Amino acid sequence: MSPRRIGVVLLVAAGLGCLAAAGWIEVKAVAAQALIDAAWLRAERGAPNPRPWPWADTRPVGRLFVGVHGPLVILEGSNGRNLAFGPTHDPASVQPGERGNAIISAHRDTHFQLLQRVVLGEQVRIELPGGARVDYRVTDARVVDSRRMRISLDAAVPMLTLVTCYPFNAVDPGGPLRYVVSAEQI
Amino acid sequence: MNRTRNAGTLGWRVRLQQGLGMLVLLSLGFFGPTSRGAAPTVDDAGSGSLLLRNAVNGEVSWALRQSTRIRATVTGNVARVIVVQEFTNSADEWVEGMYVFPLSTTAAVDELQMQIGERRIRGEIQRKAEARATYERARVEGRQASLVEQQRPNLFTTAVANIAPKSSVTIEIAYLDTIAPRDGRYTLALPLAITPRYHPGEPAQTEATPEPTLELVDAKPQRIDIDVQLAPGFAMATLESLHHPIKRHQRDGQQHVVLSAKHVPADRDFELVWTPVVAPELHAAVFSERSGDDTFAIVTLTPPQRVSTRSLPREVLFIIDTSGSMSGTSIDQARVALWLGIERLTPADRFNIIRFSNDASSLFRTMQPVNIATRMRAGAYIAGLDADGGTEMRSALELAFTMPVNSETLRQIVFITDGSVGNESELVGMIHQRIQSARLFTVGIGSAPNAYFMREAAAAGRGSHLFIADAAQVTERMTDLFRKLEQPTLVDLELRWPDGLRAELAADLPRDLYAGDPLVVAVKLPREPRGLLTLSGRGPDGPWMRQLAIQKTHGEPGLAKLWARERIGALARRKNFGGPDSNQLEQQITALALAHHLVSDYTSLVAVDVTPVRPLGSGAMPLQVPGSAPAGTAWARSTGFAPTATPGPLLLWIGALLLAAAMLWVMPALRRVRA
Repeated sequence: MSPRRIGVVLLVAAGLGCLAAAGWIEVKAVAAQALIDAAWLRAERGAPNPRPWPWADTRPVGRLFVGVHGPLVILEGSNGRNLAFGPTHDPASVQPGERGNAIISAHRDTHFQLLQRVVLGEQVRIELPGGARVDYRVTDARVVDSRRMRISLDAAVPMLTLVTCYPFNAVDPGGPLRYVVSAEQI
Repeated sequence: MNRTRNAGTLGWRVRLQQGLGMLVLLSLGFFGPTSRGAAPTVDDAGSGSLLLRNAVNGEVSWALRQSTRIRATVTGNVARVIVVQEFTNSADEWVEGMYVFPLSTTAAVDELQMQIGERRIRGEIQRKAEARATYERARVEGRQASLVEQQRPNLFTTAVANIAPKSSVTIEIAYLDTIAPRDGRYTLALPLAITPRYHPGEPAQTEATPEPTLELVDAKPQRIDIDVQLAPGFAMATLESLHHPIKRHQRDGQQHVVLSAKHVPADRDFELVWTPVVAPELHAAVFSERSGDDTFAIVTLTPPQRVSTRSLPREVLFIIDTSGSMSGTSIDQARVALWLGIERLTPADRFNIIRFSNDASSLFRTMQPVNIATRMRAGAYIAGLDADGGTEMRSALELAFTMPVNSETLRQIVFITDGSVGNESELVGMIHQRIQSARLFTVGIGSAPNAYFMREAAAAGRGSHLFIADAAQVTERMTDLFRKLEQPTLVDLELRWPDGLRAELAADLPRDLYAGDPLVVAVKLPREPRGLLTLSGRGPDGPWMRQLAIQKTHGEPGLAKLWARERIGALARRKNFGGPDSNQLEQQITALALAHHLVSDYTSLVAVDVTPVRPLGSGAMPLQVPGSAPAGTAWARSTGFAPTATPGPLLLWIGALLLAAAMLWVMPALRRVRA
């Protein structure tokens, strides 16, 4: 084999590898949501301690509907693994529907891609385990610099804050900007 | 050509980011900006910052106190500190002052006095909500009042209501603290510096954006006088102030230290350090005091930096959690911590590593000596650790407990995890049953470790626990832990009181003492002890025992309060870990704090003047601060941002570019084939 051919084969292999890795992120995001949602429905029907997959060690906080989009099942704990599977709830913040600010984060290129189309006044709903619903209306959307800002955990009324990275179509995964959508309970 | 285009794009991006950054800084409201120019919050304030809130529009602005005097009296191991501060309102309106001051977690704040003209009003201890209500009532009625509250175990605030225009109010706060020698040195530290709080993820330099509604009320240089009376109870070899010039006087056999400079810029803490002429190999002392029907005692014990060149031989078994919940920064921190531990091992030690997620496996089948070959294998093993899968902690512990034990050595198990498990009590029970002579140290990594499990597991494993929330602290905190683990000087520590007296310890006695690490423990005794206190344990040279005469304290009583403060700290820590007895613990803390006149999480000191001073008709009714923070305070709790972008798009681009490059490369060849 000529050196050129080896080079080309290596390049193609590396290229396809990268594409596969990118595809895998998407597949995980979609498949995990499907599995978790199925587990949620099993739980609604009364199955004891339903786990989306046998070794899962997180719990669903609720199901999120943004406008016509959804449901997205929210997981407890904003770590990298949970974020790959769905929107995550910051355990330092209050539970949705409680007085204070419930903070939910998700990746801009998977679950929270839809945030770029959210408009002021749009309705956001969270379905809690047990069937209770909390309805919110979007009151604010802005871009913030995560190096300079922090999100308040307290609020006078029940609030919901949806956070994702910004800009939506950026390539660099480590950027400092965040897109933050705030909603107040109706 | 390509390069210039790249540079251009980059420049555009940076400009966009800067533009957005500015926008963000200017937009206030829901988010709490942390830049210096914006409205101050408790997090911006350091010791000695007074925040003045306008009584009419609720705006908070900076004001600097005019003068501070600190009087400290050190008797043996106990320091009584009185901080006198005169706050001046140079504005033309009635204002409310808020003052934030950090203290050590062991400080017992027990006195508040407010001085108005000739009158002194002593603060009384009340339940937190009650005290807050008393204060608010006085504020609305136009009376002068002040309130001392505990915000966190080491952060206190004072609020002063209705400071008249162009006048001042003097506040006196007193606290007790213990001073334990560390490495043969005694240190009295008085926090003075105004230091900005560190927020993770925030750059050290922030752009200051002037906020038009704020102004510096009083920017006179701070005047601080410090007066320390020192009665160490032994002849001193050295006495020095680390950061401020001092003047020394000898008086009645006591050392009397006065800070000589009058206008010291309060930009750093005051630290006074002294050492004894005769440095004992092992410092140990016990002081007792009667208070009512009970007797209180404080035992201090400091092993020297090195007891002997020989140290107890040890085996270190590292257990690392590689489950999916550790993914992201947690596993990176854990890898750093683990490697630090391996690097610090000496050839006399033996070690092994266990990792677990869905299953558990170990690097070696048995404990191995430390040499180049085993170190290299450990390095490769650590680099290959990846966070994925579930959390089967049980099998990891099973593996750890079945690994053969050498009875001559001290086995230390260092357990690095975020502790996201559901079967805590089962695991803790297992540790309790099977730990035998080993010690278990838990290291909680990440922003929200399962604190309850970590503490209970460490207690069952007779070790200690450590939480590292901040990635920047991993190296420092882990180095401290490992340095400590390297030098166990006394293990299986026990205290025996004379004539079988049963002592009630304020907090659990640690099982082991490590070099240079002081032990301070406060105890309550049913009656006055007659005889000697026996301390026993096992040292590097075999069994160790020491008997101590119990000395009575002279001068100001304080041991009862120190005991109560330590007890409250222990109860509060237990409460923080959750559990079913939370309400009961809160009641116990409240009862203790009320009985001993101490500020705590549930009790505050409040002082109220009888006569109203602010004319009610003058139109300056105080307003509630709008918003979310705890009633009447201007600070807010906040959280950081999660990393919310996947490398997906980046990988797509790299993949596409690589394929395009391959295409370009084969193109000429294809053309030749076609031709």
